Amino acid sequence: MKEVLRVQGLSAGYGPLTVLHRVNLTVYPGERVGLIGLNGHGKSTLLRAIAGLTDWQSGSIQLKGREIGGTRSQSAGRNTHRIVRMGLALMPQGDALFYGLTVADHLNSGAFTRSTWRERSARRERILEIFPPLRKLLAAPVGKLSGGERRMVSLGRGLMTDASLYLIDEPSLGLAPSISKSLIAVLSEIDLKDGAMIIAEQNLSMLEGKVSRLLGIHAGVLKGGADALNAATLNGFAGAVR
Amino acid sequence: MQIDPYYVIVTAAMLASIYGLLAIGISIIWSSLGLINMAHGLTFALAGYGAWAVAQYLSSDGPVVLVAGIIAGALVGMLIGVLAFLPLYDKPNYVLRSLIATLAISLLGEQFMLAAFGPRSRPLPPVFGHASFHFGTAVVSAGQLGAIVTSWLVLLLIAFWAKHSRRGLEIRAMMRNPEGAALVGIGLRSTAMAVMAVTGGLAGLAAVLLSQTYFVSPFSGLTPLLKGMIVALAGGLGSIPGAIIAAILVGLIEAFTAVSIGGQFVLITQFLFIIIVLLIRPRGIAGIIETVRE
Repeated sequence: MKEVLRVQGLSAGYGPLTVLHRVNLTVYPGERVGLIGLNGHGKSTLLRAIAGLTDWQSGSIQLKGREIGGTRSQSAGRNTHRIVRMGLALMPQGDALFYGLTVADHLNSGAFTRSTWRERSARRERILEIFPPLRKLLAAPVGKLSGGERRMVSLGRGLMTDASLYLIDEPSLGLAPSISKSLIAVLSEIDLKDGAMIIAEQNLSMLEGKVSRLLGIHAGVLKGGADALNAATLNGFAGAVR
Repeated sequence: MQIDPYYVIVTAAMLASIYGLLAIGISIIWSSLGLINMAHGLTFALAGYGAWAVAQYLSSDGPVVLVAGIIAGALVGMLIGVLAFLPLYDKPNYVLRSLIATLAISLLGEQFMLAAFGPRSRPLPPVFGHASFHFGTAVVSAGQLGAIVTSWLVLLLIAFWAKHSRRGLEIRAMMRNPEGAALVGIGLRSTAMAVMAVTGGLAGLAAVLLSQTYFVSPFSGLTPLLKGMIVALAGGLGSIPGAIIAAILVGLIEAFTAVSIGGQFVLITQFLFIIIVLLIRPRGIAGIIETVRE
């Protein structure tokens, strides 16, 4: 069974700041991985490093066996679109929306291969079934949407083209708990087929029961399995309930 | 002093069309690539020469010359993108360095055209024929009418393409959030080349249309660049509706000034206009017509 993601010795950071310290991580097909960590400890940096968006990085990252990492110290984001086309979907913190464009534009933009573009109406329909509130908002500019609706647009956009690896950075950020819970429930039900998903959150209780594996990240170092849960309670991770 | 309103309207409409084509190009290049394209006048002039060369050696059919101008403009635009945008866009101090680069390309290009084609200006064959029409008390040549109609037709087509095609969506997305665009597989470099090609094509079209009235020469790019910049700034960089409104206003001001106090005051009144607009609304006319984009 080939791994979806294999990270070896990944260090990454911004300017003089090293955020990740030689991280190792392997994710297998069908896995839904929860990544728990406080702000500033490397959750976002790890997801962004996989997409090539950090200021600098070193170490190996393999997506379905193809190397997408390597060592670089400039040109953040230069290869991100190529990595995305290899089968990566990143739904970043802050949504990265195109303010001024409509919800329909956003969903269409997510259909970036020739075949998905041709069938974009059908794919949009699928997204609308996953996120019903967007149906009435298709023609609305995203600036007029609420936080939860904007999050749905960002997630929906990332789901328009099937990916091998979905990286979702804090889907609950800035949202009321009831909305966050329903979004994460939606994410936990998406059929991954041969792919995998990593959901990063600060709040452990958000992901309990929704993911197949839990990882903790603290000061740029990954802790897995039981260690993660122990670390969560010992270090008082926000909302840790045990 | 007799001012013929029909003449003013016709002249203003013609100028507004040409300035609109150039200003929209400059505006889009700035808002999508962060590039102040001082070489846009070079695109204009070189495209004019391209159209002239095709007219000389291939065919002087109206549509052929028009298409040749557009294609030449697109190619020059892409060349400028390769020289000034691609090497610099992700390096420190990009905006200033690219400004200097496009200025240098413009100066070098002018000398190249001077050396290759000589200083004498060249006429282009009439693209729209020799007919003339009456509009009130004014006489409108086929060239003028053709220029006005073609400009707006092309702009409408481009607006449609921008709204409905994948490439158009990619450019609109990249303008607003380059990182978000990368996350949906939109490559910055290939989209930038598309922008330079489309805006270059618009400049090339403007060159052929304007050449119905003025001839092509090595320095014929300077004034269009200046006017295009004025209109783009007055309209608010990045705003197409703003550029269109500004183009109409600037065209009216130029036509009115030319018939009332004389053509030598045209640049003065145009600069006064843009100074006043920017004093009142630093964001240009776009600051008046658009609600804050959320």
